[in-house]
Amino acid sequence: MRSLLLAFTPNRSVSPATRIALVGATLGVVLCVWLVLAPAAIPRPADVARALATLWTEQNLFEHLLTSLWLNVRAIAWSTAITLALAYVSVLPAMRPFVDALSKLRFTGMVGWGFVLTLLARDGHQLKLWMLVFGMVPFFVTAMAAVVAAIPRERFDHARTLGLSEVRVVWEVVVRGTLDEALETTRHNAAMGWMMLAMVEGIVRAEGGLGALMQNEHKHLHLDAVFALIAVVLAVGVAQDLALRWLRRTLCPYAETSS
Amino acid sequence: MMTHELRSTLLRIDGVRAAYDDHVVLDRIDAEIKDVVRPGVTQGQVVAILGPSGCGKTTLFRILAGLAAPAAGRVLLGERLEPVRAGMVGVVHQQYPLFEHRRVLANLLVRSSDEPRARDLLARFGLAERAHAWPSELSGGERQRVAILQQLMCGHTYLLMDEPFSGLDPLNKAKACELIAELALLDEEQTIIVVTHDIREAVKIADTLWLLGRAPGASASTIVASYNLIERELAWSPGIEHTPQFAALVREIEARFGAL
Repeated sequence: MRSLLLAFTPNRSVSPATRIALVGATLGVVLCVWLVLAPAAIPRPADVARALATLWTEQNLFEHLLTSLWLNVRAIAWSTAITLALAYVSVLPAMRPFVDALSKLRFTGMVGWGFVLTLLARDGHQLKLWMLVFGMVPFFVTAMAAVVAAIPRERFDHARTLGLSEVRVVWEVVVRGTLDEALETTRHNAAMGWMMLAMVEGIVRAEGGLGALMQNEHKHLHLDAVFALIAVVLAVGVAQDLALRWLRRTLCPYAETSS
Repeated sequence: MMTHELRSTLLRIDGVRAAYDDHVVLDRIDAEIKDVVRPGVTQGQVVAILGPSGCGKTTLFRILAGLAAPAAGRVLLGERLEPVRAGMVGVVHQQYPLFEHRRVLANLLVRSSDEPRARDLLARFGLAERAHAWPSELSGGERQRVAILQQLMCGHTYLLMDEPFSGLDPLNKAKACELIAELALLDEEQTIIVVTHDIREAVKIADTLWLLGRAPGASASTIVASYNLIERELAWSPGIEHTPQFAALVREIEARFGAL
């Protein structure tokens, strides 16, 4: 009881058992609201579960999932590579205006740019890939450029006073010194790929994928199937998040330590 | 007086002036550090630059480290009295920055491959057990020692320390003083410059004190007083802080400090 009271006291930490109980209670509340308060047009959990089974057995959900997963993994890899390269070259004053301009592209939508990318892409898969990359990179770059810009002057001074060359200063302070933050930024921004997936796969449906499947079901107002697909995207997204967290812990164990 | 001899000039500050836009922070800084030779002892030099907050200590610190260029004047060091540039002087910043992605031993080997020497230094300064720790796992005192050893591994005989006593409790202040005294014994030319506002600790460790501040009516800081602690028989003596001469000098500096 005292532990439960602590959960409602500001700035307190709770035991793992209490945390599990709180997660369970939150899920219970969400389920109750869904069952009791949601309008009749919204499918119930049982409808969603049935739709999920149907999607799996009759509509090759697994293959669509693999298609989307492969597309997203490639998009994250490309976006990360482009972003890190741009963030690291932002230490060159000559490159800063370009990086700043790219960062501002996050205010523009895909409309218009989609046409340009269609002209540049070789096939449907490439078009989807570049649309995702184009959508993600400005946000990635904004976050990573901020990480690089926030490196305290003392860290550069420290490396210089050790007599390291300027290239080595960039390697130790900017590249290796921010690797943990780069992976954390990737983790936060990787979710964007799944958010854009329905739109991108809806535009180019040839390969299928969860987005294409979702658009098809939505067109026929099969809301139970749409909700089932949302649940699948959510589960895969959470799994991806955990995988990236594991990667960060493995590559940068120092980021998890404290005195 | 203690037997000693002053030999070659190790560092010379010639008419240094520093300004931000039109605001002159430091002006006419002239000083010199000479090699102090004691018979039978490998004795380096310890100079403390004392000054109240906002007097331009950090600016002078950056100029001495070669990290910032003065608006006028120059800092010369070494046998041939070359103009200072970044990398010639080891710098231990107040926050003791280390490469967080490198373990302690790897931090020491960032510019050197002499692992036996790195292990020897770690053992000598009580850090042998911490060789494979991450910097974030170190205590404040351990971090300070690793930051110093990292600079020593780069072959620096000039070591500039920014506020090494800041935020330390009395016990750790005493340990930091012992550490600096030990560092000064590593090499005849080892020159340690400590920038601080801790008067007692400065008097305890230094052989020379420079008091930095704005003289009454002046708009920029300069070295307003220089104290030779060897001549006053206050240098190189353990337990000196319990003597009346020590207390008298601390009071004298405090009085001048208050007027700056």
